[in-house]
Amino acid sequence: MTSIALPRFANVIDAAAPLALALAIGAAVLLAAGFEPLGVYRLMIEEAFGGQRQIAATLTAATPLLLTGLAAAIAFRAGIFNVGAEGCFYLGGIVAAVVGFAAPTWPSFVLILVALATASLVGGLWLVGPGVLRARFGVDEVVTTLMLNFIAVALTSWLVNGPLLARGSANSATPVIVANAALPRLLPPTTLHLGFIISLGLVMLYGIWSRFAVGGLRSRLVGLNPRFSRAVGIEPAPIFLASMIVSGAIGGLAGGIHALGLVHRFVSGFSPGYGFTGIAIALLARNSAIGVVIAAVLFGALTSAGANIQLFSDVPIEIVQILQGAVMIFAVANLGFIWNRRRTVR
Amino acid sequence: MIDAFLHAAMMMTTPILLAAIGGLVNRIGGLVNLGLESMMLAGALVAVIVSAKTGSSTLATVAALGVGAGVGLAMSLVITRLSANEIIVGLGFTVATAGLVRFLLKSIYGVSGTYNPPNVAMLPRLDIPFLDAVPVLGAIVSGQDPLTWLAWALVPATAFVLQQTRWGLRLRATGAAETTVRAVGLAPLSIRDASTVFAGGLAGLAGAHLSIGVVGLFNEGITGGRGFIALAAFYFGRTSPFRTALGALLFGAFDAAQIRLQGRGVPAELVQTLPYIIVIIVLTGLGLSEKRRQRARTL
Repeated sequence: MTSIALPRFANVIDAAAPLALALAIGAAVLLAAGFEPLGVYRLMIEEAFGGQRQIAATLTAATPLLLTGLAAAIAFRAGIFNVGAEGCFYLGGIVAAVVGFAAPTWPSFVLILVALATASLVGGLWLVGPGVLRARFGVDEVVTTLMLNFIAVALTSWLVNGPLLARGSANSATPVIVANAALPRLLPPTTLHLGFIISLGLVMLYGIWSRFAVGGLRSRLVGLNPRFSRAVGIEPAPIFLASMIVSGAIGGLAGGIHALGLVHRFVSGFSPGYGFTGIAIALLARNSAIGVVIAAVLFGALTSAGANIQLFSDVPIEIVQILQGAVMIFAVANLGFIWNRRRTVR
Repeated sequence: MIDAFLHAAMMMTTPILLAAIGGLVNRIGGLVNLGLESMMLAGALVAVIVSAKTGSSTLATVAALGVGAGVGLAMSLVITRLSANEIIVGLGFTVATAGLVRFLLKSIYGVSGTYNPPNVAMLPRLDIPFLDAVPVLGAIVSGQDPLTWLAWALVPATAFVLQQTRWGLRLRATGAAETTVRAVGLAPLSIRDASTVFAGGLAGLAGAHLSIGVVGLFNEGITGGRGFIALAAFYFGRTSPFRTALGALLFGAFDAAQIRLQGRGVPAELVQTLPYIIVIIVLTGLGLSEKRRQRARTL
């Protein structure tokens, strides 16, 4: 009984330890700046989960993170270090926004479907290059996908400043999408939209696929040990490529949903780093579906609470960014030394 | 016109070159440093603060070096001692430091994004008598700050140390054959940490060059991704400081060109993407030739 329960307990600690350390660092920063950390954290919890309105805001903020977390998890699972979801998010966002204002006469369902499908398509195509380079030539995908992020951000920024700039708009933004293209709101007057359900559904699908489907097992084997998987007849190269493309498509879809569900247009600076937060989420979750949901809601809570506490107290919202970065750092650190000693004594 | 461009190109090369030399040494020691951007940002802020407080650009430069090295050490320890993934930790440091810098600006100085204190002592510009009157050459070598000279002096110095000295050999061995280094009784992790501290210090100097060498204030976007362009430069340079310098010079020239091309119909955003595109092309070329070599071996 305990032998079954123990590793689970250890898993929970594995996931909770980076978070606890990040919160401790955040507390130190808050303290140094003259704020009272526990008070700030309590206020953040209230602002994130204190009522229906707050929960809706948290889930809205979690929506893009569910998908960028999923995009990272799918790639990491197969041993592909794709850090390019951020770029796909930008491209998916701009493509969905363009479809959303360019085809005003289409029925809502078709319009949304086409917009999201093209967003995923573009996201997937964007990473074909790094995928092929990695799968066929062994070129480090971290650098190529990272570089593609900068290219995507610059490319979309050029598009919204020039060819796609809304008439009469001073800031760099596309025209607003037509009402038909907007994803329906779930709980008006809150901004929670259908995208949350879609994203949650996809993460759950991933959970089922990764656990029960043949493809899920294959991708895990390739991720754990490509040489072993080749020895048992699973060629890693096609799985590398497929994981990269699916990961990119989900990143693109995330951007499309963000454009149609919340922003209703594409603006320069479209993502405050959702792609990178997705990496932190997948790492914290150890690529598990349920973990992605929990971590995405957690980061969503941080984001929405961070925006509110800046309004109600003078704690700068950047505390959220500090926490996110710290979670990323500790999520990959081997923190075993903290309790290893105790465990070996036992 | 051409003189002004060359001068600007040299000036914009400096931060990229400093960080790229650091990143190159770091990579040869076995650590790909994705945190250069954070060390550069920290260096830029600290340089402005110390420069305004003390009125000494020398102290400010030393402080930037120190803070960059400190961030580098912290990052290195997480990677080497807690066996953390260097890519994620580097990106994590970039995210966290950007947040911390903005947090501190708001909570200590009550400013959002830009910190512009009075009396920032700028780095001196070294005018070289007689040479500054020579058309093209004068624009390149005269009127640059000491960090530019340091950056270029470091190129042959790094090549020499890497190839000709015991320390260079140890560093290369640490990157290439960690277990061998351990077997001969050296501490590869500490050598790797030292290379990250070196990279961090240089990235800190790169930040100081931007804040108290070029503009005279701190802005949260002051580094503008130059830490990642430096990454592009040392990937371009592979293991050679000279090739790395060539990459940095190329990217510095793009940087200077892009400012000039604004308002002339050439979209600056697209010029900005050039370094990243070049790196992908270089990596693709390397991958292809590696594959061809493998195929030749198996035949």
